[in-house]
Amino acid sequence: MTTPLSLSGLDLPRRNGELAFDAPWQSTVFALAAAVIAHAFGGDREPFRQQLIKAIAAEPGRPYWESWTAALEALVPTLPERPAP
Amino acid sequence: MSNSTHHPAPMSPVEQRVAALEALLTERGLVPEGFIGQITRRYESEIGPMNGARVVARAWLDPRYKQRLLADGTAAIAELGFGGPEGDHMVAVENTPIVHNVIVCTLCSCYPWPVLGLPPAWYKDPPYRARMVREPRALLAEMGCPLPEEVEIRVWDSSAEVRYLVLPQRPPAAEGMTEAELTALVTRDSMIGVARL
Repeated sequence: MTTPLSLSGLDLPRRNGELAFDAPWQSTVFALAAAVIAHAFGGDREPFRQQLIKAIAAEPGRPYWESWTAALEALVPTLPERPAP
Repeated sequence: MSNSTHHPAPMSPVEQRVAALEALLTERGLVPEGFIGQITRRYESEIGPMNGARVVARAWLDPRYKQRLLADGTAAIAELGFGGPEGDHMVAVENTPIVHNVIVCTLCSCYPWPVLGLPPAWYKDPPYRARMVREPRALLAEMGCPLPEEVEIRVWDSSAEVRYLVLPQRPPAAEGMTEAELTALVTRDSMIGVARL
């Protein structure tokens, strides 16, 4: 999908339409959650999702990636002892 | 960023918390070297609404593909090479002249990542999550997508189990266009359901 298209006025939805991450710590914490989901829970997203739901409900006005950080912090004590092989 | 002799800006509290998490999780062996950069690059440049746009354009051009897409979204989307985390149970919902679909996640921010990338900021904000369920017609109008009274609005609440993708109506002016041209017409917002083409 790299062929240039000559349709003037039309933006290719090539990106997310806005910055996905506003600061490096946001992409870091996003990737850390992905790492935990993949390597500690064998791909099961539900434990993290439940923490994210709780974190958002606890402070609905908090910036999104800060809730994400809080969710990951809450998840850490529940991590399985050893990473999945 | 510069490599001058300026002192780096002090870390904010949240940056410190994330750095602590990174150190702890790395020590636990959960973050392979290079993992963070790899994930960030994928989501910033390879995964995004252009994937969903290809799915929509294919469905517009190929009625049999559209049938497969509506019957089993995950499998039809995988045919084009998209899938993986956050996309393992995808359901495509079709807009028609009398039905308009829109997606939301009322509890957090579930979103069909493999076909739309990361969710936009407003998708994750409380007003969108609450109002799209309570008063979708008013909110859609405010977002620049007014719908005639006779059009039924269906709001789909995403979850960890099911992610929705809206199949927008093909614009009348798109007759005779190639798949690449059609792909360029499809916007992210039209696949969330907050815009029409």
